[in-house]
Amino acid sequence: MFRHLMLCATFCTATLVQIVASPASAKDAYIPIIVPLTGFLSLEGTAQRNGAVQALENTPEGVSATYEVLDTATSPEQAVTALHRALDRGEPVAAAASIFGTQMLAMLPVAKRAGLPLVTVSGTAKLTELNNPYIFRFFPGDAVVKVAHANYAVRELGAKRPALLYQTTAYGQSGRVHLARRLREMGTPLVYEEALAPSVKDMLPALTKLKAAAPDVILLHLHSAPTALAIRQARASGLDLPVVAGSAMHQPSTAKLLEAAHLKGVCAESASSPVSESVAKIAAFTREFRERFATDPDAFAMAQYDGINMVLAALADGASSAQEVRNWLAGHTFEGLAMTYKSDGKGNMAHDAVIICYDGETLVPTVVKRYHNVDGVL
Amino acid sequence: MSASILQLLVNGIALGAAYALIALGFVLVINAIGAVNFAQGDLVMTGGFVAVILADWLIESEAWTTWGLGVLVLPLTMVAMAALGILFSLFAYVPLRNRPPVSVFISTIAFGMMLQHGANAAFGPDPRNGPPLIEAGMVSFGSVGVSLQQISVIVAATFLIGTTRVVLFQTQFGRQLRATAQDQEMAEAIGVDGFRSIGLTFALAVALAGAAGMLLSNQFFVTPTDGGVFMLKAYIAVTLGGWGRLDGATVAAILIGIFEVMVAAVVSYVVAEALLYATLLLVLLLRPSGFLAESIQRRT
Repeated sequence: MFRHLMLCATFCTATLVQIVASPASAKDAYIPIIVPLTGFLSLEGTAQRNGAVQALENTPEGVSATYEVLDTATSPEQAVTALHRALDRGEPVAAAASIFGTQMLAMLPVAKRAGLPLVTVSGTAKLTELNNPYIFRFFPGDAVVKVAHANYAVRELGAKRPALLYQTTAYGQSGRVHLARRLREMGTPLVYEEALAPSVKDMLPALTKLKAAAPDVILLHLHSAPTALAIRQARASGLDLPVVAGSAMHQPSTAKLLEAAHLKGVCAESASSPVSESVAKIAAFTREFRERFATDPDAFAMAQYDGINMVLAALADGASSAQEVRNWLAGHTFEGLAMTYKSDGKGNMAHDAVIICYDGETLVPTVVKRYHNVDGVL
Repeated sequence: MSASILQLLVNGIALGAAYALIALGFVLVINAIGAVNFAQGDLVMTGGFVAVILADWLIESEAWTTWGLGVLVLPLTMVAMAALGILFSLFAYVPLRNRPPVSVFISTIAFGMMLQHGANAAFGPDPRNGPPLIEAGMVSFGSVGVSLQQISVIVAATFLIGTTRVVLFQTQFGRQLRATAQDQEMAEAIGVDGFRSIGLTFALAVALAGAAGMLLSNQFFVTPTDGGVFMLKAYIAVTLGGWGRLDGATVAAILIGIFEVMVAAVVSYVVAEALLYATLLLVLLLRPSGFLAESIQRRT
């Protein structure tokens, strides 16, 4: 019995490797997808994977590309190992790389030595501050989205006493710095703030203190499940203040955790919201994504889709090596589905943000405000 | 503020009660095989997903309505998890039972990883919302409103902990489990089927983990990576309460829940966590047997 199971496990593993790994042929451009598919960032990593795969399965005419998906899990070592494996398997012209900033920091020196452009949606500010010419970030960083976040709360909702709950992770702390700075600049400093570890389940203690500070808006900069928990527990404890959340709230999987009524008065910043858009090109992307992956696309998926499409545009324009692709990404403007992308010289490609709001009746948000060219690069 | 304190206290007790179920299962396995079960947290996560699947299936097949769904899903989850517990013992313990305990605890880590990655592959990385034990709502005590869901979690956990205690200490079956846990060879010498007792201990421990998973999955959602947090809390509860002591682990788990919530409310979550780990270190340093030391001191 045990031997049979072991044989079955061995066979299944071998089959899986065959399916996942599709070795590059000489004429095809090889673009590995090196993202976290397991561990605490698997939700975002899977969105990245799906966006990249959708782009690579719909290459422009004249461009042929192969890909393989490599899981970076949760540690920098695994990410670097996956990158080395991709480099050993062929001559990649670019790679879709992890959303996890800590992994990206470890991968960047390897990519620089190999001359391989990394196309990511990671928001960690440090990534584009290291003078590494091989990083290209297709999701707006905190310098863009947190400005939109704060501006919407203060200028559109009229907030004067904002309160903030943020994550203790690098993601949370980076967002907190930009939000607090922008709010101070606008003369509306935070009246309460608290950092929550991603493992915190019961948020009533923080909400009790937040309530005592008498804020007029709740700002959230939390991951997916903590965002839903904070909103549900706030509503259950009678806190009916407007909420402006971070980009995790725009993810359809976050909204599905809540009842539509809980979402009344809830808005969020994001790079985009594919499920909210009726523009034909985006609607077609969303429809195809749902058919291919049986789930709704989010902004991470669409940003990664746009990023890989820009790489494919470089190939279509004649770039044939990793260095030529890098130069093309650094020097061209690209019209993607979510926005127009252009490097600021450091690899920050995305400069727009949107604010989405829920009406309390459906789980599909509406884009209520668009902030174009927030950092003035375009 | 008194209203807030009462609500915080109820939340702390509810959280602690769920931790107690996890810790109880943890101690049962330690006592039975002398090795730490590092898959306990992932088994809690699995219980949450089993509850989600059962609830979806009962509603989609129109076998049940949403009314009272949780009350039906809880025992069904426990039965399914008990079966998984027996499988767990067959795969992670039986092949290694004559090896040193370190082999078994490594195999439990591997089993936990398989559960985590299996859940990720089967259900995807999205957080899922389990069924409530009873319908959402508030119950008023004067001017104080307390969540009905939290109260139901406390009642369910108290019932399960009490029932486990009765089974272990007041039934022949429980005596056999405890006899095997104390000395398997001696228990077998007097006619107890040690192999069967250990399998049933795993079933009971994993059923309790499943119950905790179901109770937590509605309040706090469930994701494939949730196991680590629950594992840590159970480990701390067992260390503080006393290795091998069911009562110690239960009391310590409830106190941890209350401590976490109240300190976070007065100071911050970061301080609450730091103080909890500082207490753990102090206990390991000054009283490694825990507050309620095991009488025969097998594990300290």
